[in-house]
Amino acid sequence: MTRTGPARHFKKILIANRGEIAVRIVRACREMDITPVAVFSEADAAALHVRLADEAYAIGNAPSRDSYLNVERVLAAVRASGAEAVHPGYGFLAENAAFAKACADAGLVFIGPRSETIALMGEKTSARRLAVEAGVPVVPGTMAALSDGATLRREAERIGFPVMLKAAAGGGGKGMRLVATPGELDPAAERARGEARSAFGDDRVYLEKAMIRPRHVEIQVMADAYGGAVHLFERECSIQRRHQKVIEESPSPAVTPELRERMGALALALVKRAGYLNAGTLEFLVDADRNPYFLEMNTRLQVEHPVTEMVTGVDLVKLQIRVAQGERLPFAQGDVRQSGHAIECRVYAEDPDNSFLPSPGIIHALRVPGGPGIRDDSGVYEGATVSIHYDPLVSKLVAHGADRDEALRRMRRAVAEYNVLGIKTTLPFFGRVLRHPAFVSGDYDTSFIETAFRDAPDTTERPWDVALAAAALHAHRERQKAVHAAESGSGGGSSWRASTWRSSGGRWP
Amino acid sequence: MIFDATVDGRPARVEVRSASGLYTVLVDGRPLRVAVFPTARHFTTLLIDGRCHDAGVLRQGANHAVALRDGTFEVTLEAAARGAMAPHRKAATGPAKVRAPMPGKILRVVAAAGQEVRAGECLVVMEAMKMENEIRSPRDGRIKDVFVKEGQAVESGALLILVE
Repeated sequence: MTRTGPARHFKKILIANRGEIAVRIVRACREMDITPVAVFSEADAAALHVRLADEAYAIGNAPSRDSYLNVERVLAAVRASGAEAVHPGYGFLAENAAFAKACADAGLVFIGPRSETIALMGEKTSARRLAVEAGVPVVPGTMAALSDGATLRREAERIGFPVMLKAAAGGGGKGMRLVATPGELDPAAERARGEARSAFGDDRVYLEKAMIRPRHVEIQVMADAYGGAVHLFERECSIQRRHQKVIEESPSPAVTPELRERMGALALALVKRAGYLNAGTLEFLVDADRNPYFLEMNTRLQVEHPVTEMVTGVDLVKLQIRVAQGERLPFAQGDVRQSGHAIECRVYAEDPDNSFLPSPGIIHALRVPGGPGIRDDSGVYEGATVSIHYDPLVSKLVAHGADRDEALRRMRRAVAEYNVLGIKTTLPFFGRVLRHPAFVSGDYDTSFIETAFRDAPDTTERPWDVALAAAALHAHRERQKAVHAAESGSGGGSSWRASTWRSSGGRWP
Repeated sequence: MIFDATVDGRPARVEVRSASGLYTVLVDGRPLRVAVFPTARHFTTLLIDGRCHDAGVLRQGANHAVALRDGTFEVTLEAAARGAMAPHRKAATGPAKVRAPMPGKILRVVAAAGQEVRAGECLVVMEAMKMENEIRSPRDGRIKDVFVKEGQAVESGALLILVE
């Protein structure tokens, strides 16, 4: 146990995921001289993560259950590649205890917690019981999963409406419903259980007291195999739609130094109690009086991990790999600091003007912002197709600044620089959020998206004339080009383009 | 060329005239003097009265997605004849066609023919991209027809419901 050097050094890691997170892990492998191995479904043969990897294995048809969720096929790819370790990313098999166990049984390293811990934390009611044992306050609610309607109704009455209905095996907002009155309980439960069944193969649910306008704040933790554990401060995740996060930031504008210290200590108490290993996140609700209540633990890398990376300078994916190699944490709690401020916007292929409905399709043009403090963790490229089969996350745009004001201004600039043609994205919506007084002040909660724009349609003067001119000129020039091509029979020359300056007499408007 | 156009749903008449390699674009009679410089695929720099605009245009039928620094705009163009402006299209008064915004499976049909609905009311629940998506009524009205059944797979753009 006194060993300080690496127990081993992975030569090859298989990435059991797709999209931006697979790309993120490929990049970490590259920086560590580890060979990254991709897997891909039929729909993803031309995906960015395959383009960037050294080796790639086809694992089945487009639907996730036939490919990315298929334990046997993923393990077959691991065997074929000779990889020593598997990084599951988030989603798909990342919180599948049976997969983690199958890896261990096959002599592979699963880059994440032990399978028993995944099972313990993955069943949300057992995680709640463990938190109570560790002295961590939880949201009042049922301590066991429920599957019959009569018990559900009785428990809901006992807790008192409004209640939050959640999938026991859940995560990612799937199978979650807010129920305001007794009459809504049965239809909401039916919907939630249907979603839970298709997402997790388990339709049991549990109830929590719905808190009024809470903030959603989470603590990043990291633990090694030798009892070393640190927290890497908080992320504020209150900007959500359909219970899924769309903007995150760190530090949280709502968290005082005292609350930060308290939440960090609570998180580490649960980490120790659970014998936790590798990266994890504890989600809390924080009420108006700044009381934190534990919600659940995500036993994996989080989508929004870049905001923590930007403010702490810690590369979480490389640290995950080092811990999985058997290394000790290279720093202690006192060595990590929050430096500056970071904001992340999740660029989804969704139509923000139409209930955030998915907008799959071909990305015909893509312009990505750059410059100081900007990071774009993307899973696509110009010409790529956003498939109907998977989560519509296109990219995560992150801005870092010396303080919140600078990070916010950088993010506004970057959102304006970002251009995607061919699909609808959440980018225009971010432009509005980043200028909303409640967001700018930092005084917002999880009801923000539902309420902020409800009664105030966007009446901002926009450059409509320029947009009209651009479209009309495009149509006009397409027609001129067609006429020109027909006349010259050459398929469209470009001499008329180059001569603009001369023929305009050296004057531009 | 003259167009009857809409931008973000607002109607406008737009005329493009070219002379000496430059363009004059008239938007409801307001003249803009424009120089056009193609840059990347789908993109041009427009120089309008000393201001430069980095404009991306993607045409899909009559619809043009126009990306400017201030965001993306939906522009529709229809070639028009010189003279009086065409009467404003009746889209706002005829029956509203509710279409599937993406391919997926119909999980539940909430609305029934003959039922009165309010704008924003859920009509159909569709499963697509791993989520249950509520398809809502675009306006107040009465359900004239329902074209889908629960469990049915639909393509993007499939007609689901007619609201009158």
